[in-house]
Amino acid sequence: MRTIKSKIFSPAIRIIVLMIITTGVAYPLLVTAVGQTVLPFQSNGSQVILNGKVVGSELISQSYNSSKFFQPRNDSASGVDPDITPDSAISQIPVINSATGIPANALKTLVDLDIARNRETNALVFAPDYVNVLNLNIELVKQYPEVYAHEISTKEVP
Amino acid sequence: MDIVILLVVLVGSLGLSVIFGRYIARMIVYEKRPLEKTLGRIENGFYKIIGIDRYEQMTWKQYFLAIVVTNVIAAGFLMAVLLYQNNLPLSPRPGLSLDLAFNTAASFVTNTNLQHYAGEQQLSIFSQMVGLIFMMFVAPASGIAAAFAFIRGFIRKEFGLGNFYVDFTRIIITLLLPISFFSALLLLFLGAPQTLDSTITIGTLQGGSQTIPIGPVAALESIKELGSNGGGFFAANSSHPFENPTGISNVFECILMLVIPLSFPIAYGYLLGKGRGISILAAMLIGFGVMLALGLSEQSGPTGLETRFGSFGSTLFLESSVATNTGAANAALTGMSPNAVIGFFLGMFVQAIPGADGTGMMMMIIFVVLTLFLVGLMVGKTPEFMSMKINPRDVKLAAFVFLIHPALILIPSVMAYTTENAQNVLGEHTTPATFTQVLYEYSSASANNGSDYLGTSANTPFWNWSTAWIMLLGRYAPIGLMLAVAGSFTLRDRKEVVEPIKTSGFLFVGVLSVMVFILTALTFFPFLAMGPFSM
Repeated sequence: MRTIKSKIFSPAIRIIVLMIITTGVAYPLLVTAVGQTVLPFQSNGSQVILNGKVVGSELISQSYNSSKFFQPRNDSASGVDPDITPDSAISQIPVINSATGIPANALKTLVDLDIARNRETNALVFAPDYVNVLNLNIELVKQYPEVYAHEISTKEVP
Repeated sequence: MDIVILLVVLVGSLGLSVIFGRYIARMIVYEKRPLEKTLGRIENGFYKIIGIDRYEQMTWKQYFLAIVVTNVIAAGFLMAVLLYQNNLPLSPRPGLSLDLAFNTAASFVTNTNLQHYAGEQQLSIFSQMVGLIFMMFVAPASGIAAAFAFIRGFIRKEFGLGNFYVDFTRIIITLLLPISFFSALLLLFLGAPQTLDSTITIGTLQGGSQTIPIGPVAALESIKELGSNGGGFFAANSSHPFENPTGISNVFECILMLVIPLSFPIAYGYLLGKGRGISILAAMLIGFGVMLALGLSEQSGPTGLETRFGSFGSTLFLESSVATNTGAANAALTGMSPNAVIGFFLGMFVQAIPGADGTGMMMMIIFVVLTLFLVGLMVGKTPEFMSMKINPRDVKLAAFVFLIHPALILIPSVMAYTTENAQNVLGEHTTPATFTQVLYEYSSASANNGSDYLGTSANTPFWNWSTAWIMLLGRYAPIGLMLAVAGSFTLRDRKEVVEPIKTSGFLFVGVLSVMVFILTALTFFPFLAMGPFSM
């Protein structure tokens, strides 16, 4: 009959050390290595690029201090919700129309295109319709560069 | 559309649990698994380093002692990491206070993951990775191992309860780790980040800059859901887009939470009779169905809910999370409808519909024993389970397991009010809504659930110490008692006769479900009436 010490206590210490190495170090490092090699875009926070510059993460909301842009919601569970409902986007169209002169139906088309894109991301059925604010605003800047020339060059990226 | 999401979650998790249920059954009785040679070789390497004889059996006391000792060492390690993380590598942060470190270590080792800290602000990457991810394997592996020993107690006379270190090694290396790895890669693909940096500073559309907390999120997220853990990398938990980026990740995380708890009744069916396994699965699904029906009966949000999940995706995720005692949240609980919250309480009070990895199954068997005893009294037959007489000691132990839970919830809830600690956090004016938050905190702690309303606002010495002890008692007292039950069953003679009260079939499922509901309702009704029913 082995003693309690050799049967219970010594294995406990050894198994914990072994599991720290396996699950606390090797496992996350392996996932990091694979992720950084195969999926660098997602691994580093889904950073989107416009004209060669990083302009944000498509998963994290950012604030806009101009009424020419669609605005994110300011209450939200995570506080960084990057999306708004189609209703919320459509209700913002008149404001953007009057600030930019971009026709309301053109804005509506861009909103619909973003909704369609997000449906694809969610395999059509796995999420309610929503609008990604950053992607929509990037589309605006792409389509109407002269309208947004001032807004996107107020400060240089450090 | 909502119905498709629901079907994918239910069919997906049940389909996978048929596969994993068979696999878990093989693990319990040491049958040949796929890749047995390779797995066996790796495991033998571990046993050699650990210094154990893989064939040596443990008594229930030794098995329980091994769980406790291993967990204490792991918790001590985590606590040291949290206290001294300022001296450790990977973007160090100030060490946590003693009470917060104790609370967090107790919380993660007991598979609770109640969080009184904000992960992205207060923890270093080292703490999140080597501290928490490591513990997210230890805690469910301990619960699953306990369930293995418990189920072995019923298989046949002196089959033996097994060896904790063998089970613990096999569960981590051949069950949790491979699934977590592939799930982490899938979550990565769907958008969860995975890096050793703690922040990224990037430009914004208007030419400014933005600093975003980041880290090894995907690796944490997968074991967080698979292991009934629930502790978020971020304070916002699974509502944060990095933890749960899309509708697809939301569905996948629901399946991850449900798969192991639902695999257990199937494993049980393979080992102890198909009808019995299916009956227990049915009772679990009826309970879960009631929770879902409550949650979906009322619209939640939109305040506090993420746009990409909406009311349906948030309710489905949260009911799955609370039902499995995972405790992850993809929306603020304050955004959820009163009916949804009543569903959460039902899940935490019963702890077995389907409950956490391993312990949910054990709890359901306790309900089966209690049901057999009560029905036996009604019809005047000696209750039997698996052709063994249920003796008075078994019933006493089972009743203790059941009664610990209300005691651990109700006594501290009252204490929080009499000592004014509830009022200090929630305001002098007590309403049904604030009372609900206090009741929820201790229900969550005692059930080892981990979802909560209070979050960082409960980072005070009273709340940290009290919930820590409740979590520890709520974990180890029932596991000890349940192993004692199994320990005595494994020594008992079996008579192969017709069961006096059948433990399978429609009638039994009906009686069991009603009994679970009545026992729970009778115990908690007055408190529910003061809190969530009055919201």
